Parts: sequence; C-alpha cells; structure tokens
Amino acid sequence: MNKIITCENIVKSFGEGDEKHNVLDGVSVEINEGEFVSVMGPSGSGKSTLMYTLSGMDHVDAGSVNFDGKDLSTLNENELADLRRIKMGFIFQQPTLLKNLNLLDNIILPLLNKNREKSPEIKERARTLMKRADITELEERNISQASGGQLQRVGICRALMNNPKIIFGDEPTGALNSKSSNEIMNLLLEIHRSGTTIMLVTHDIKVAAKTERVLFMIDGKIVGEHLAGAYDESRDDLKAREDRLIELLAEMKF
Amino acid sequence: MYYRTIRNDILKNKAISLTTIIFVAAAAMLVSLAAILVVNLTGAIDTLMTRAKTPHFMQMHSGEIDMPNLSAFVAENEYIDEFQVLEFLNIDGVQIDFQENSLADSVQDNGFSIQSEKFDYLLDLNGNIITVSDGELYVPLCYMQDGTTKVGDKVRVSGKNFVVAGFLRDSQMNSLLASSKRFLVSENDYKELKELGSVEYLIEFRLKDLSTLNAFGTAYTTAGLEANGPTITYPLFKTINALSDGMMIAVILLVSILVVAIAFLCIRFTLLAKIEDDYREIGVMKAIGLRVSDIKKIYLSKYAVIAVGGCVLGFLLSFVFRDKLLENIRLFMGESENNSIAFVFGMISVLFVFLTIIFYVNSVLNRFRKISPAEAIRFGVSQEKNTGGKRFYLSNNRLLNTNIFLGIKDVLGRKKLYATTFAVLVILVFIIIVPQNLYNTISSKDFVSYMGIGQCDMRIDIQQTDNISGKTAEISQVLTNDSLISKFVVLTTKTFKVNMDDGSEESIKIELGDHSIFPVKYSAGRAPVTKDEIALSGMNAEALGKKVGDIIKLMIEGKEQALTVCGIYSDVTNGGKTAKAVFTDDSADTMWSIINSELVDKSLIEPTTKQYADRFDFAKVSGIDAYVIQTYGATISSIGKASYAAIAVALVIAILITVLFMKLLVAKDRYSIAVMKAFGFTSYEIKSQYVSRSVFVLLVAIILGTILANTLGAVVAGAVISSFGASSFEFVINPFLSYVIFPLMMVITVLIATIIGTLDVERIKISENIKE
Repeated sequence: MNKIITCENIVKSFGEGDEKHNVLDGVSVEINEGEFVSVMGPSGSGKSTLMYTLSGMDHVDAGSVNFDGKDLSTLNENELADLRRIKMGFIFQQPTLLKNLNLLDNIILPLLNKNREKSPEIKERARTLMKRADITELEERNISQASGGQLQRVGICRALMNNPKIIFGDEPTGALNSKSSNEIMNLLLEIHRSGTTIMLVTHDIKVAAKTERVLFMIDGKIVGEHLAGAYDESRDDLKAREDRLIELLAEMKF
Repeated sequence: MYYRTIRNDILKNKAISLTTIIFVAAAAMLVSLAAILVVNLTGAIDTLMTRAKTPHFMQMHSGEIDMPNLSAFVAENEYIDEFQVLEFLNIDGVQIDFQENSLADSVQDNGFSIQSEKFDYLLDLNGNIITVSDGELYVPLCYMQDGTTKVGDKVRVSGKNFVVAGFLRDSQMNSLLASSKRFLVSENDYKELKELGSVEYLIEFRLKDLSTLNAFGTAYTTAGLEANGPTITYPLFKTINALSDGMMIAVILLVSILVVAIAFLCIRFTLLAKIEDDYREIGVMKAIGLRVSDIKKIYLSKYAVIAVGGCVLGFLLSFVFRDKLLENIRLFMGESENNSIAFVFGMISVLFVFLTIIFYVNSVLNRFRKISPAEAIRFGVSQEKNTGGKRFYLSNNRLLNTNIFLGIKDVLGRKKLYATTFAVLVILVFIIIVPQNLYNTISSKDFVSYMGIGQCDMRIDIQQTDNISGKTAEISQVLTNDSLISKFVVLTTKTFKVNMDDGSEESIKIELGDHSIFPVKYSAGRAPVTKDEIALSGMNAEALGKKVGDIIKLMIEGKEQALTVCGIYSDVTNGGKTAKAVFTDDSADTMWSIINSELVDKSLIEPTTKQYADRFDFAKVSGIDAYVIQTYGATISSIGKASYAAIAVALVIAILITVLFMKLLVAKDRYSIAVMKAFGFTSYEIKSQYVSRSVFVLLVAIILGTILANTLGAVVAGAVISSFGASSFEFVINPFLSYVIFPLMMVITVLIATIIGTLDVERIKISENIKE
C-alpha cells in the first residue's frame, strides 16, 4: 500500500532554557493512502502538535516528515501553502469559519483563491457537498445563524472542496453533543469509503472506535497502536470495538 | 493590582502605547503653545500700546490744515483727553540710501518724524521712549528684520548723512500690513529735511473713555474737519499688530485640534480592540457582580497613565519651542508682562487636554453597559452586526481577484472598525489639499484682483503732490505715445458727500474712470458702466448699509443725484473703504490718481517701471508683481512653506497611523489569518487583502477629502484670505497636483505603511492561533 505520510524521529519542543520541553520526542509514524487513523492520548501528550507537523503547518526541530513523496523541510512557506490548498483538508474542533462570509462563501473560499475563472463549477461542487452533508438550506446564512453541528458540517464541506488526498481532523467532534457527533462521524466514514485518507486526533472512544487504526500517545511519544480494521455498521460490533479500546487504554494507564 | 495590570498592558503593546503618548504629547504641546502665545501676544500688544500711548483716533490728512478750526473743535468736544498734530514727512525710497541697500524698490510709504511730546511715542527695543540726537536716525524694526541695515550703518537721506543709532517700535505702523513706516530724527535734522519731501499730517486724539470712540468719530466727521486720508482707530491698530502672529496662533490651534482628533481616534481604536480582546473577561466580571464603574476604572487608569505621561511630556516640550515662537512677538512688541500668567494658562490648557481625554475614554467605555454577560461568556466576541456588504457574495464575484474582493468585503462588513482610519485619512487629505490650494490661490497672478487691485503690469500712483490732475495728464500723454504700452487707464479718486436715509451725511472716496479695462473681482454684481451706477467696497457697503440694487444719494456738483449700487468688491487698499463709478465731476478736488497700464512685452516690465520712475519722480511707479511681493510676499512664502510642511506632516501621520492600524488589525484578525493559512493562502495573498483594504479606504477618503477640501476647505481658506481684506474668492486649483500627484503620494505612502504594518502576517503560526 502506498504511504502518504512517513515521519521519522521528529522532535518538536516549546519554551526556552530550563522551561524547554519536547512536545514531540522522537516520533516515527507512517500513514497509508486510504487509511482512517485516529490518535488518542491525554491532554498535553502531543496529539495536535503531531497533526500540525505532519500537515506542514508547523516546523519540526529535528527528524523528517515526508508527505506524498516530498520532504516538507525542503519546502518554503508558499510551497507548503500550495500543498495544503491542493492536497489537504482540515477540520478543527471549532468550526474556524470566517465571520464576515456567509456559509457558502466560507466553503468555496480556499478553492476560489486560485481558480476564480472556474467560479460556477466551484459553486456547483460546493452545493453538491452541502447536499451530501445535509445543509443545503444554509447556503446564504451567516455563522451566527447555524448550530455547532451544522457549522462543523460546513467545515467538512470546506475540507472536501479540493478533493484532498488526506483530511486532518483535530477533535472534529470535540465541541458537539453526542447526536451531532455521531452524525459527523458517519459523514466522515462515508467520505473515507469513497477513498479519502483521514487522520483524526480525538479524546472520544466512540469516535476512535470507528477508525481503522488507533495510535496512542503519551508525553510526546507513540506508545502503542491498535489495528481494529475497517468499521462496518452492518456487523454491529461497535460496542466490542469500544470495549477493546477501553481495555487497551487501561493497560497503558491512560 | 492596578499598577501591575497597567504596567503589563503598556509593556505588552509598546508601539501602540508609545504612539498614543506621542500624539497626546503633541496635542498637549500645541494647545499649551497656543495658550502661551495668545497670552503673550495680547500682553505684549497691551504693554506696547500702553507705553507708546497709541492714539485712540487718528486722521491722516494731506493738504492744508486749519489749526484754529481744529483747536476750536477740541475745546468744545467733551470726549477728548489729549490732542496733537504730528507731521509725517514723505520721502521717496530712492532718496534713502543705506550703506548696502537702498529703499528705492520699497513699496512702503517711508516717512520721517520727530518724537512726539504728548503721546504716540516711538519706543526703542527696551520699550523706552527714544531721545534722538542730531545726526542720529532710528529705523523701523522691519528693516532690521529683513537685513536692510544694522546699528552703526551710515545712511544718506536726500543728500544728508545720518548714522543708524537704533531701531524703533512703532505701535501704529510696526506691522508690514500697515503701508507706512516712520523713521525718527531730531528736530533740527527734521527742519533740514522738511524742504525735501511732502508733509502729511497725523491728526491724533486720545479720549477720556475709549468707549466713546464711535460717538467721537461721528462728531469729527460731522464737524467737517480735515479728512483727506484714511481714518484709523485704536481697535484697528490693535488688530493690525495682532494679525501676523495671530495667524500663526490660528494655524497652531488648527493643527492642534487636528492632532487632538487623531489622538482621540488612536485611543478609540486601541480601546475598542482591547474591549474586543477582553470581551469574555468583561462578561465574567459583570457576571460575578462587578459594577460597570469598577470595570471602567481598570481601563480608565491605563489611559490616565498614558494621558498624564503625554501631557507632562507635551508641556515640557512646549518650553523648548516657545522661545522660538515668541521671538517675533518679543522683537516687534517687546516683552509681555503676562509671563507668569502665560505659564498658568499653559498649565490649564494642558490640564484641559488631559481631562478631555479622560472624559472621552470614559464615554467610549460606556459601551460596557451594553455587553450582555451571557452573550459575552457564550460567544467570547461581540456579535457585531455586519452592516454592509451583505449582497456582496464571494460566490457571485467574477470581476475582482479573490483577495481584493475579500479586502473590500471586509471594509464594507466592518465599517465601524475602519471608520477611524477613514476619518484620519480624510483629515490628512484635507490638510494636504487646502493649504496647497490656498497657496496656489494667493500666489496666482489673478489674486490681486480679489484685493481691489486691477490685474495690470505697471501701476503709477500720483498723490501727496500739488496739481495732481495736471501731472496725471502729463503722464497720460507720455503713455499714449509710448508704443511699449498696449493699454492704460486713469482712475481719479475724489471725495463726495452721501446723504443718508436718516438725514445724516457721510463722505466717501470714489474712484472715477473706466473700470472695465483692468477689472477687479466682484463678490456681488458687476463693475459700473453707466453714469448712474456705483460699485462699493465690501467695507463701505457694510458701513453704508447698502447692497446691490440699492440707491445711494450722492452730492455731485452741488446737486443730489441717485446712483444705483451695481456691484460690491473686496478691497484692501486705502483702508478698505472705497467706491468705483464712471461719472465725471470737475468740481471736487482730486485726492489722488492712479494710472494702471499693460505692456506689450511682459519682459520689459522692470526696465519700463524704472524708466517711468526716473522720469516722473513725483509719482510712485511700481510693477504689480513687485507691489504684491513686497506687500504680501512674506505671507505668501510662509503660506507656501506651511503648505509643504503640511504635506510632510500629513504623510508622516499617514505612515504612522496606517502602520499602527494595520498592526492592530493583524493582531485582531490573527485567527482568520491562521484559518486562511491553513487552507492554503500564502502570506503574500493575505497581505494583499490588507493592501486592498487600506487602498479601498484611502480611495474613498481621497474622494471625500477632496470634496471637503474644495467646499469646507474653501470656507476655512476664505477666513484666512479675508484677513487680507478679500471677501470672496474662488480656489485656484492646480489639478495635476491636487488630483494626480497628492493622491498618488498618499497611495504610495499608505501602500508602504500597509506593507510594513502587515509584516506580522508572516509570523502568525497556524498552530498557535487556530484554537480560539
């Protein structure tokens, strides 16, 4: 299977002098194309930082990150920006939408930046995605006129606009109630099944239980992984997958 | 607690705090300087006029004087305290030869006097009454200032030798705007000189009570006493003395109002940004039961510290500059007795600036009342209503580049945020364009016609001589035969009696001749064409209570004739009270004549002027350009300098404000910037959004600023120009400068400032800012 991300021995530290500490302390990991991976770990374990460094949003202090055959440390800021725009999609805990744009404009913004002449096609694609996310009627609304779950769907549509090779999600359901959370996860599963690689950072066992592979992080290191295999609703084994995760977490003294 | 919060806050926003302090300091300094100057100027003028015992009423008169008649009037009049008649010996500038310079080109009426005995003293630079010895000459201050001569120089006046013993302050004629200048000589020397010039009389009165001045003026006119020359009163002397320094003070005040406005806008912007930042905390404070006044104190105390810092700094700085600015007042008017009061007034004005700032901050902080704790805690930001740009969808945009579009949309959506920058830029455009237009207007060749002077090349004045009509005819004859002269006109001024509607009589001077050849600008109506028409100067129209279309009853050749007022014009010549008509009258005496002429070849103005001056030594011949330069040159050049200084100041402020606002905006928008970066926008693209925001705001500001400059600015400039005596005028605009160069300069400046101000965009890390 092709590897979309390979990172080796990456180190990332914050603070200076005595207060300096490694948030990532020699992490090596590989993500395969088409995989649905989640990263679990307590607060401050370095999950989000790992995601930011793998996506080129943050630089590493040591080690290397290779994305789709390119060493990220050799790319300048503009090349990194291009990479994010063309090959990646992001979903954050908060919907991270721009206040002064309506929801449709928020979705098309990243793609429109460089392809203004294709505006009608882009708009059409956004509408298709909105339909898929069941938010068609929200097109002209502002941020303040939609619920948290709806806004997160807008965020997912935005992340899908460029047909990315990978979607990074930093606690995408963290701010949602369990019903909304469930709906968002189902949407992500559907996206994954259509061939998109997804990497999520999460606290939530219910979320992690629906992913193929779970990485466990403590104190800046990957301390274990669990290969659960693809989740299939028809098998009705979600409870069992969750219980297995709880066991593993207990073993690792999370 | 306050101390630590304030210190941390100020240190955290060093650049912004420093800029605010600088503007507050500049505002405090300027306001304090203006206060100090006003107090000193009025004090110095009062001291000068008290020591010199300036006359309350003065009638200049050329021609015979009937002393017994005058004395009889004085004996009977109850208002008069003291009375004297001084002689003013007019000597042509050509006859006054300083060691290095001559006054041949001077347009001032230079005359010689002896020290008076009762009042209207000429003072030395220490404010003492000068006692002059034979062979000594005291010279008007203006000739020291322009470097014409210095103490110890030898002077030849009509062949007689003098030594410059010192310079004199003349409470009447100090100002360059007063067209006569008095030199002081001893009585013996005066007797020798008297044969060489023509005597003009200064009939002077001091009254027991200055409030009776108007009644006295009427009594003097009604008595039909000597009146062949301008009448000047105590308030007018005071105004003339105050005018040039007063204008400087007015400019300082104007600039200080502007700087105060900018300081306020800075404070408002930083304060609103801070409230926005602290929105949730403010909500929490309200939720746990703190009163609005308590929350306000935390913010107010920081600005109190900044305001105190700025005000103290500004007050100290005002000491550095005040001596330089007081130099001119001290030289012309002497030391003021109000020095300590000036200090107090300076302090009070700085205190006023301080209190205004605190009051203003307090009123901005009133929006705390509107913050709902529930909303603030839930959303963490104010739910600002997007007031504009709603119909402005990115999805419908085909025309503009996405980043330019986003920039403009942001401005339209957050109008309130950009209002501050916009207001500052409008003010800056205003202060660039108005002084430039003013300078262009007063330095244009056309401008003299706003001041009652026809636009010609050469002007010949025939006055203070005998047989004026004969001499005028002689010159006319020469002009007619001179092929260098393309056209000329003779204007003769005579005095006529006007029968007022209330039965009283007034006398007015009317300039007779063809007024269509070298026309002046009329603020209403037009030049007189027929014999039953008359045009009045603005001051005369006001004094007589007439407007265009009214009838004036004039005594011509002993008969009352009704003339229609056909026009009103501005005039600064001859005390501003003049009139123009075309009828002829041989009965009245000619007071003076003027011959205006135009030359075929403009390059020959100077030699021709000199040739006529040499040939007719009884007349004053001047090129109009030289006349304007000598009378208004200093003012024109200082307005020119001021206008260029205004441009420089405006551009510096534009840079400062734009950098400051951009830095604040980037800090405020760091979340949106991080989001855009996460989705593949490059720093360059994001910066171009900010550039399009500032350029968009600037372009609108330029349009509004230019419109304001040409409307409101014309009114402001009109006030300045009317101080020269011109009542109505139109801006002479240099379109290339005003509509191309200045806007371009502003755009370039703002562009550079925006690029500098948005450098931080590159440093914003997605990972640190994406989480709210």
